[in-house]
Amino acid sequence: MFNRDTWLEIGNTVLSHPLRTALTGLSIALGVFILVVMQGLGFGLQNGVKNQFSDDAVNSIWVSSGRTQLAYRGNKPNHNILMLNSDVDAMFQKMDSVEAFSRRVRIWGMSMEYKDKESNFPLRGVDPDHQMLENTVLTKGRFISQRDIDENTKVAVIGTKIIEDLYEENDPIGTYLIIGGVQFMVVGTFDDPASRWENQMAYLPFTTAQKIFRSTDKVDQIILGTGTMPITATQSLTESLLTWFKDRKGVHPDDPRGVWMENNNEEYERYQNIFMGIELFIWGIGLLTLLAGAVGVANILAIAVKERTKEIGVRKALGASSASVVGLVVQESLSLMIVSGSVGLIIGVWLLEVVSPMVDHEYFKNPQVDFRIALVAMGILVVVGVVSGIGPALRAVSIRPVEALRDE
Amino acid sequence: MVAIMGSSGSGKSTLLNILGLLDDFDSGDYELAGTSMAGLNERAAAKYRSRFLGFVFQSFNLIGFKSALENVALPLYYQSVPRKVRNLKAMEYLKKVGLEDWANHLPNQMSGGQKQRVAIARALVGEPKVILADEPTGALDSTTSHEVMDLLRKVNKEGITMIIVTHESDIAALCDRTIHLVDGQIDFR
Repeated sequence: MFNRDTWLEIGNTVLSHPLRTALTGLSIALGVFILVVMQGLGFGLQNGVKNQFSDDAVNSIWVSSGRTQLAYRGNKPNHNILMLNSDVDAMFQKMDSVEAFSRRVRIWGMSMEYKDKESNFPLRGVDPDHQMLENTVLTKGRFISQRDIDENTKVAVIGTKIIEDLYEENDPIGTYLIIGGVQFMVVGTFDDPASRWENQMAYLPFTTAQKIFRSTDKVDQIILGTGTMPITATQSLTESLLTWFKDRKGVHPDDPRGVWMENNNEEYERYQNIFMGIELFIWGIGLLTLLAGAVGVANILAIAVKERTKEIGVRKALGASSASVVGLVVQESLSLMIVSGSVGLIIGVWLLEVVSPMVDHEYFKNPQVDFRIALVAMGILVVVGVVSGIGPALRAVSIRPVEALRDE
Repeated sequence: MVAIMGSSGSGKSTLLNILGLLDDFDSGDYELAGTSMAGLNERAAAKYRSRFLGFVFQSFNLIGFKSALENVALPLYYQSVPRKVRNLKAMEYLKKVGLEDWANHLPNQMSGGQKQRVAIARALVGEPKVILADEPTGALDSTTSHEVMDLLRKVNKEGITMIIVTHESDIAALCDRTIHLVDGQIDFR
């Protein structure tokens, strides 16, 4: 069936109908192309959103304090609540176990010098678990360790922006960085592609930072990692902690300020839902594109075969069997669709490959397509095309040549 | 060389289609080369058609996107003749009808008479025993008609039975025998 002669015959028929060939080919190629591109864009959106939220996509509860809004126990509104080391210790005693935790002191800007260069950068004093809680990816060296905390060592882990500005090409590991007039040894570097803000940060041991830059017991923020704890458990934990903490710090139970907790488990779940929504959206578009493409292909093939009724009659009169005619029509559409489908596939994948490195938007990253999905989609289009071509082809050969060739 | 004549509706086209194995018949028998053609299936009919029969139609029925040579070679394609042989043979028959210079032209680049000659070459190329011609001159002017008839007569002289359906008596007069059909019956007047 697949000999050279058959292919010559197919080539002859296909090439001598440029319009029909172009239309069928275009509809298949376009269908596959749109599908590939839409899938790619969808994945890009998904990657971007995931990346954007990866910083905060760790299940955790954040505890902060500030000024009160309501008068309570003799305190006027606008009373500043300070979270102290003693409060944190008491809070840990209150909880059975914590999967991960970190205290934080934040300094929004502090002068940092290396050799003759100097600039202002924000810094944070943190505990070792902070690395996991913030998804900080180290590029070199190590993060703050428990020993640093216990011994108040003067070490720093710095972001790529600081390295760029102060070190240029030099390796910062092991060097001494002067932060606010105090020498800190750089022990690690990190890069956070999702956040420019994070990259200009210097991380110091919590205890060291608190002593040098705060000179009080104040803790700015506490992060509690909840790990695999179910969302309802994290909610009740948040609630009981908050009630206890408000009571301890003399904040009105109904005061939305003073002390507050953010449970990002709910957000985490919301993000998961967003990801799922995006995925559903991509699939929906993919399926609809496929459907539209299939309808177009079926339509064109049906018309093409109808147009060929007379030719089919002649072929039969010249000694062709019905099977050979149907075979010819089907092989013809099959080869046409495979060729044009591949063209659409290649152009689509190529476009994504070219565009991908150029796109660097917060919410859009690495548009790509699962090659297997694209192949399966193309396969479906081809099968639909062939099946829809067979019907009219069978009808065309079942018409007796007498009728097919009758002059109108 | 037989002419079949009759007014429209007399059944001459039906007779030709039955003879050409393009249509079934309900009663009677039809023997072709010693074999009964009653109740043939599609495939067998296609086989006998390609072995014994050649067709010439009023509207030529050349395949429009194929050149004269390819049109003539098509019956051989369905007899699984190798391509080289096919094209040589097709060329030979195009020569026979005097159109070797037109081998690579498409049908719509040729005149009616030329198209019919290509169709005749196509009917001949399979070396049939019988050529069935349905109004072969119906779409041609009288000069061209006579040229085509001369060609058919020449072919007939080479030993191929020629059955021509026509309603023009001067065409019928060029044949050896004329059969008149009236209401589906042969009129023996």
